[in-house]
Amino acid sequence: MSATNGHLEGVGLVKRFGGLTALDGVSVETRSGTITALIGPNGAGKTTLFQCLTGVERPDEGRVRLDGRDITTRSPDARARLGISRTFQRLAVFGTMSVEDNLLVGAEHRTNAGVVRRVGGLLAGLIGITVGDQAAHRRRVDGVIDILGLDAVRRAPAATLSTGTLRLVELGRALCHDPEVLLLDEPATGLDTAEIDNFQRVLRDVASRDVAVLLVEHDVDLVFGIADRIYAMAAGQLIAEGTPEEIRASSAVREAYLDIEPAAG
Amino acid sequence: MLALNYAFAGLALGAVAALSGVGLIITYRATGVFNIAQGAIAMMAAYVFLAAVQDWHWPKAVAAVVVLLGFAPAFGVLVQRLVFRPLQRRDASAAESLVATIGLTALLIGIAYEIWGLQAQSPPSLLPQGVWQVGSLTIHMDATGDLAIVIVGTVLLGVITRRTALGTSIRAVVDRRDLAQLSGIDADRVAAIGWATGVMIAALTGILIAPEIQFTPFELTLVVLETFAVPVIAGLTNVPVAIIAGLALGIGSSEMSLWSPAGAALSIWDALQANLPVVALLAALLARNRFAGIRADSGDSSDAGTTTSLARRRSTEFGVRWRVGIYTAATLALVSPLLFSDTNLRQAQQVPALAVIFVSIVAVTGYSGQISLGQAGYAGLGALLFGRFSTGAPELVALLGAAIAAGLVGFLTGYPAIRRRGLFLALTTFAVGAFVSRFVFQQPYFTNGLQVLRPSVLGLSLSGDRAFYCFELVVLGLVFLIMTNLRSGMIGRSLVAMRDSETGAGSVGVDVRTLKVFIFTVSAAIAGIGGALLAQQGGAFSADSFDPLASSIPWFAVVVVFGADSAAGAVLGAALVVLVNSLTANPDAYQIVIGVFATFIGLLPGGVSDAARRLVDWLAHPAALVRRYEAVHPTTPSRHTLTARGEQARATIQARRGVKATAR
Repeated sequence: MSATNGHLEGVGLVKRFGGLTALDGVSVETRSGTITALIGPNGAGKTTLFQCLTGVERPDEGRVRLDGRDITTRSPDARARLGISRTFQRLAVFGTMSVEDNLLVGAEHRTNAGVVRRVGGLLAGLIGITVGDQAAHRRRVDGVIDILGLDAVRRAPAATLSTGTLRLVELGRALCHDPEVLLLDEPATGLDTAEIDNFQRVLRDVASRDVAVLLVEHDVDLVFGIADRIYAMAAGQLIAEGTPEEIRASSAVREAYLDIEPAAG
Repeated sequence: MLALNYAFAGLALGAVAALSGVGLIITYRATGVFNIAQGAIAMMAAYVFLAAVQDWHWPKAVAAVVVLLGFAPAFGVLVQRLVFRPLQRRDASAAESLVATIGLTALLIGIAYEIWGLQAQSPPSLLPQGVWQVGSLTIHMDATGDLAIVIVGTVLLGVITRRTALGTSIRAVVDRRDLAQLSGIDADRVAAIGWATGVMIAALTGILIAPEIQFTPFELTLVVLETFAVPVIAGLTNVPVAIIAGLALGIGSSEMSLWSPAGAALSIWDALQANLPVVALLAALLARNRFAGIRADSGDSSDAGTTTSLARRRSTEFGVRWRVGIYTAATLALVSPLLFSDTNLRQAQQVPALAVIFVSIVAVTGYSGQISLGQAGYAGLGALLFGRFSTGAPELVALLGAAIAAGLVGFLTGYPAIRRRGLFLALTTFAVGAFVSRFVFQQPYFTNGLQVLRPSVLGLSLSGDRAFYCFELVVLGLVFLIMTNLRSGMIGRSLVAMRDSETGAGSVGVDVRTLKVFIFTVSAAIAGIGGALLAQQGGAFSADSFDPLASSIPWFAVVVVFGADSAAGAVLGAALVVLVNSLTANPDAYQIVIGVFATFIGLLPGGVSDAARRLVDWLAHPAALVRRYEAVHPTTPSRHTLTARGEQARATIQARRGVKATAR
């Protein structure tokens, strides 16, 4: 994977839903080769922040930048083409397609081409001319299938697979996209312990290839076991940031969690 | 004072539009089904009422009571039990319910056409026809009666939903069906009541509106369909707004007679007045892009591919031998009409033309998940523009030009599709088709003196029936090549990805917006070619061939029944349509056949072609059948061991089931 900056920043993000301020001036950033985690009790604003970074929601105030370039008004798919790919808490795989084809779709749209060239590609496809290096896409898919251990199911239609496998398929799709920044929305939901172990291994591997990883996760053990850097949120604000040790020691985090989930943290 | 008189004159239509809107909203709120068949049901009820009064000589009041309180609720409950309850039970997608209502529409129209034909009838008016003269003010009794019925009926419904236990359960089911069922509400009963009420209101609409318009199976259905502007304006929720919108529509249309512009603008003004509901429907749909407060249309839940459920991909690819066999058989079948007699050949010529149009629906709906109910609009534009262009250019160039021009219109209508999906897209595309039909196909300005000639290539005339059929086959072959390209490679994957999950596709950079507009453009261009072929086959342009109701809707049903994502199924569907029509000598007989299949689509997911594929699959690999049987009836007992409490619970459940079974 190419060496890139993978520097996604949200600066002073504010998002209101009616009278509720879901985000109240939050700034976060990701770094290449680093796993960053976003934690916080329910209603802390993690998901809203995530949606603002991926482009599903537009912040009322503040900017989103990728490697210094302002992408605040870009659509989710335009952000993806710039190198931000993501997974979903509620799976969004292509059910009727094989695992392989799911991943291939991931590989095929990493392009800097403008809209005119993309339409040109579509028109060429209409008369049977393929644009882009299909062999390279296939190699990339094969590589990712190897890393994730999906070889046994590569031809199976996605709709027939278990949630645990589909989380890997989504991750694989995002990886095939050759992301600078990889955003993971509650990736451990519905996984068993063996699957979580495997998932951690894969994530370490990904980060070691100069990808910036940002994950939102409820599984606090997973987060503390894997993250290099943690942002803790509560009530729409950042209450702490730092290494897992610093966060573990932070009294603000303890308070926020103790209020709601005494067992966690 | 004249304005006031016109207002009263418009009241009748307005009140009926309001009534129709309220009926649609009630069914939708109680059952979650947007009942496209509302128009066809209204039409059917009006015919039954007419038959009772005219043929069986019942008094009007008796006939009305029997139709409204007997026939209508019974039909509603029947439809709920046989069609929509099975769909609801297996959590079918909104697209499948939509197809079922479309199928019901085609079925009822087909039946009415078979029994009563196309001659306009003059049904009796349920309400007294007299007028009250107050000064210079003329008040029609029937219009006043219509208004009174609407107001009393709505107030009654309002009281029932707000003040009674039944109303509470209806509202509970509407909000959260699952939770309502958990708290002991019989959701099926609520749905049945919703259907009975909705059909009753539809029947009343039909009986009241029939004397006001040209009463034929198509016309009455279409008039009611066009009043869908009313529930759309009301966001499918707000009954008072629906009533005001309905009245405004009727009165507005009437008031337009007050002023008539001079010269060329007059014909536009007249067309506008006659078709105000279509304009309102289109405008309302373009102004909104979702219905507020409806779960199915908001959030991620609807994102799981609106039409994926209609278009299942085969799980196993056929072997080479099977494929060669199938393609050979298909080619032989397509070529065989060349040996037919002239009359039969002329019938068969419709097959490739229709097939091209059907295939265009496969491209937009089956491959990419965008429901389009306006396909006849593009086809008609292709036919009309081919006629216009061919006066100044060689026919093949004109055909290409017509395809491009139809594609451009598809491009424009693709834009609304960017933010719309499912039901909303279906309505928008229908409105576009209706708009084009009313404002272009039916306007003499565009169609007078239009000649549609068969093409000649390199000085070789293709006007002979056999030569023309060969030409059609070549065009169909080229369209199939395009379809293969749309199905395979990067485009094919992007389209299916968009169909299966729009957000998933966007997350890896698939440009969903461009892709939607692209597929609408391509599909419209293909439909345009098919429309041109159809007109060339008949030798003339006829607005009736491209009617939104008589064509777009049943065509869509055919494609879904034969497998929304199967281009080969589309050809088969075209063959069936032509075959049924020529066997029965009734150009709409196929609607009955297709209507039955589409109505019960829940029993045949994936359509006829998917069932055929499975059948062939089983014949080829009998082991697959055994595996399937074992999947349904596992031979090994469940591995889970229940705790003592679990065993107890299971015994209770089984005991209850036994009680229920014996009670039946």
